[in-house]
Amino acid sequence: MKRRIFAVSFILAALAVAVTSVLITLAAYRNYFDVVKRGAAAELSYVGAGVSEFGAAYFDKLDTQDGRRLTWIARDGSVTGDTEADAPAMDNHLDRPEVKDALARGVGESTRYSDTLDAQAYYRAERLRDGSVLRIDITVQSVLQSFNEVILPIAFIALMVFLVAAFVAARLTRRIVLPLNGLKLDEPEECLVYDELAPLLERIKEQKRELDRRMKTLERRQAEVSAITENMNEGLLILDSGGTILSYNKSALRLLGASQANPMGRHYMAVYRGEGLRRIVQEALRGNEEPGAAQEEAAKEIPKEMPKEVPKEKPQEAVLSINQYSVQVLASPVREGRAIRGLLLVLLDVTEKQERDRLRREFTANVSHELKTPLTAISGYAELLTNGMAKPEDAPTFARNIHKDARRMVALINDLLFLSRLDETESSSEKSDVELLALCKRAARNLSASAADRDVTVTVSGEPATVTGISTVLEAMAANLIDNAVKYNKQGGSVAVEVHPTKSGAALTVSDTGIGIPKAEQSRVFERFYRVDKSRGGAIPGTGLGLAIVKHGAALHNASVELASGSAGTRVEILFNG
Amino acid sequence: MRKNYEKQLDEMHTCLIRMGALCEDAIACAARALLEGGEETRMKAISLEHDIDMIEREIEQNCVRILLHQQPMATDLRHVTVAQKMITDMERIGDQAADIAEISAFMKGSPVKSDVHIADMAKATSKMVTDSIDSFVNKDLELAREVIAYDDVVDGLFSKIKGELIERLRQDNTHAGECLDLLMIAKYFERIGDHATNIAEWVLYFLTGSRQNA
Repeated sequence: MKRRIFAVSFILAALAVAVTSVLITLAAYRNYFDVVKRGAAAELSYVGAGVSEFGAAYFDKLDTQDGRRLTWIARDGSVTGDTEADAPAMDNHLDRPEVKDALARGVGESTRYSDTLDAQAYYRAERLRDGSVLRIDITVQSVLQSFNEVILPIAFIALMVFLVAAFVAARLTRRIVLPLNGLKLDEPEECLVYDELAPLLERIKEQKRELDRRMKTLERRQAEVSAITENMNEGLLILDSGGTILSYNKSALRLLGASQANPMGRHYMAVYRGEGLRRIVQEALRGNEEPGAAQEEAAKEIPKEMPKEVPKEKPQEAVLSINQYSVQVLASPVREGRAIRGLLLVLLDVTEKQERDRLRREFTANVSHELKTPLTAISGYAELLTNGMAKPEDAPTFARNIHKDARRMVALINDLLFLSRLDETESSSEKSDVELLALCKRAARNLSASAADRDVTVTVSGEPATVTGISTVLEAMAANLIDNAVKYNKQGGSVAVEVHPTKSGAALTVSDTGIGIPKAEQSRVFERFYRVDKSRGGAIPGTGLGLAIVKHGAALHNASVELASGSAGTRVEILFNG
Repeated sequence: MRKNYEKQLDEMHTCLIRMGALCEDAIACAARALLEGGEETRMKAISLEHDIDMIEREIEQNCVRILLHQQPMATDLRHVTVAQKMITDMERIGDQAADIAEISAFMKGSPVKSDVHIADMAKATSKMVTDSIDSFVNKDLELAREVIAYDDVVDGLFSKIKGELIERLRQDNTHAGECLDLLMIAKYFERIGDHATNIAEWVLYFLTGSRQNA
């Protein structure tokens, strides 16, 4: 644009200079010609007067210079005298137009190009009183010649004009362009430097408003999406096909144990470089190598129940253990047509699930083992009895053993049933006011026989305290605690059961003088089937479920269980809150 | 052209991170093979060494290609030269991890290893390797310096283990062979620590442009 403005002003200036100089030259030339003509007329009249008065004597004495020549022509056209050439040698001048005119009208003139002088010549002829004709001939410059003379000043002027034009053009372009350059697109109305810009600015303003509106919509949508992703527990990572992170959420960073504040735009390997994740990402990015068309058809027909057959539609999946988490990674390629443009990674924290699975497997294994042991013994004894291989005097012992193992199984199954009932009982299920002291006394009485067997004294003391709860569960808890205290006691030991009302509810404490629980085992004794004494069916019978029942029962009553144990005995305290 | 160049550099960087990750895995496997035994982890450590060698060659080729085709300048040139130096150290870490795993095969159920501080040493060197790779990945100057400082801890552990083994041999020489094997393993761990230090020093050079007084 700048160059255009420059060129136009230049051409304009050049044109103006050229036209002006041509016109001025022409006008000046005309003026000059007029002066020449007038001079010729005056000269001719002076000389004519002289010649008329003194004749040839005067004419011969005339001395002309400066491109002027006088010719005296007789009435018949012969040349009488000439200031430059030899008169008699000259041909008849009667046919010359100016001479003809002079003879006819008194005065005649013409302009001719004279071959003799190789120049433009002006002729003026006048008839004298005696009828002869006097002619003056002045060599004049042609137009071009006079133009040549002025060309230098014109060139100088042209140069000046060009300089001025260049300067003005530069200023002008700057004035036009500068406000355009300085246009602040944020507030266009402030930049109105000249009116011609107004429509443009108006358009810009409009578009800016439109843009702002769209940006706001986009931002809102972005905020919505990020609010969703940031607040979900599952990790989310979006990668492009090169593995650069396009989007992420906090959970993803937490699960991957990433330390970076902002991994946006970085390679996922910079966030977590484990081989497991790399393999799954690589696998997913490669996608499934173009299966044959027929195979694809077949894949479509396979119903949903057999997803293993169509890995193409299934995301890549793996469970990685990252730091303390077990993370399930689902990687689905993002396709655009056939090409894979990116990857969507969903990270699920399956730590708890795996832990629960492990516990369930252990529990199942334990239950089957616990049930199988007495059954094996029973079926063994029964087989001996059926085959008649047992001596008659051994039969009562066998029967007693069978009875003992059967009782153990029944106890076990009862405990299991009780526990599963506890699992299913809601903490909000029907409860009533239960008085703990009487309940403990009842439980102690029921166990007095086995206590007496071991020579253990059980004392129940304290004040009556009432809690809201399920009496069968509470009784089972108390019974299990007292039973444990009796079973794991020393010969002649004692068990003290105390009940106290507290500010927020009640406290039930069972302390014994028994063998105690080693420190390392204390955290595990509440697990199902966990027994400090690993030799099953050893000296002390038990199902290994007693303390599990206590723990579950306490949870059901919103109570806490405290266990303190040492070589001097064990003390279990249950604190009921409200 | 420029885009392609940047892509090549990125690729090289990613490969380096991956090689670092493999080294971490290798040393973790070696430590597990030593402390817990298990044929599988032992074989894993040895196969990882092979992977590390493969990726070393790949990075080597990448570096040469970048140097020849792109003539990198300034930081980029430093990036490439640092990569060339780092892979040598990483490759040595892989080799030594495999060596540890191989020796571990002769130490099954040995009572000696639980008596000396070899588990601490395995943990310390693992940490060093992980941190040195982390410092490279996150361009973390502080962490790189920490790694270099931590080398003293590993060196201290080595002389401690040496002292413990000497003491043990003096009292009872029934497990003399295992003691020597353990000494070698400790030495390997110590070497791995040195290589991790080297990596951290290369990271420092990469980030600051000046070689430390190492």
